[in-house]
Amino acid sequence: MSAAKRVQQWATFARSWHIFDCKWQDPYESANIIKKYLMGLHKPIYHPMNDCGDVVVAINSRDIALRGDEWRTRAYFHHTGYPGGASWTLAWELHNKDPTMIIKKAVYRAMKGNLQRRHTMQRLFIYPGENVPEDVLQNVTNQIRQIRLVPTRLDQIPEEVTKTYPKVMDYPEDYVLK
Amino acid sequence: MAGLVRAGFSFAKTAIFSTSVRSIATTNPLHLREIHERVEGSTKIIEAVNVPSPRTELLIRAENLPTQDAAASTSEKPCYMCALGLDVKHTDVLIVSQFVRSDGCMLPRRITGLCRRQQKKMGKLVAMAQKAGLMINLTPSYCKKDPKKRKDHKKFNTYFDERTIFMKKIPKPVDKFKR
Ligand SMILES: [Zn+2]
Repeated sequence: MSAAKRVQQWATFARSWHIFDCKWQDPYESANIIKKYLMGLHKPIYHPMNDCGDVVVAINSRDIALRGDEWRTRAYFHHTGYPGGASWTLAWELHNKDPTMIIKKAVYRAMKGNLQRRHTMQRLFIYPGENVPEDVLQNVTNQIRQIRLVPTRLDQIPEEVTKTYPKVMDYPEDYVLK
Repeated sequence: MAGLVRAGFSFAKTAIFSTSVRSIATTNPLHLREIHERVEGSTKIIEAVNVPSPRTELLIRAENLPTQDAAASTSEKPCYMCALGLDVKHTDVLIVSQFVRSDGCMLPRRITGLCRRQQKKMGKLVAMAQKAGLMINLTPSYCKKDPKKRKDHKKFNTYFDERTIFMKKIPKPVDKFKR
């Protein structure tokens, strides 16, 4: 095998590291994206028996966004195994306790339940904020594109932009400004 | 006959209402105003000052756009938002914030001049933007401005789907979670 071919072999089977910013992202939509990178589905060499999955570092998991009233309607079920040991935790209660748990469970449930699933989950690193250990961050070579745009708050827009922005609504002539 | 009755009714209405209003007003009643409060010595003076509308120069109307043709002379004239045909999202705070008072409340239809459907839509978009904490400088004084300081489930980020505005029943999101 020539030197160039050997390098190509290494490059094909090397694990690459991806970073994903969860800020204002729906965890259940982004789980389907993260899953593809974790399992190696984005590679042409993918095969279920081929260990070609990548590593994903998910940051800012505290700032995930759920749709509509999901924070207070979505419940997470747990059973201790004892009689009367069932419990239902709402999404906002779970997020208060552990801000990484919702995205972790979303990715776990997005994958098919087989023997590989728990090993694939070991390659997912979730951090609640932007503080990532240096030895993790120096491996990262790729950024996964966010699905949803991060919205801009009105108080973060400068005042002259707000004033000179084109208007659609004008006040009627007899309106008292409030 | 019906036209005669309507003309008589409108004549009676103008005779009753406009005259009574005109007799009360001491200044020109039709003007955009601002309420000013100041204290001079022991007296508090509250006056309404006529101001020009700050928006008139920046106004966008469909009939003034160069791409629009003068073919819109049909029976029903659409309101200005329908004529513009904008796809407004609740994250477009620069547009949504034009329809609210300074305390973040939606303006009524007699002031916005929208049709019923657009008024409903803009009202829902305002509610969505306020719940998502995107217009925290347009809130009542007692409101906790920072969304992260709100209670329970309100302190976390929430996004909304604009397609659900006119739905009777909002469908559950599709993911593999059993609910
Ligand atoms: Zn309309």
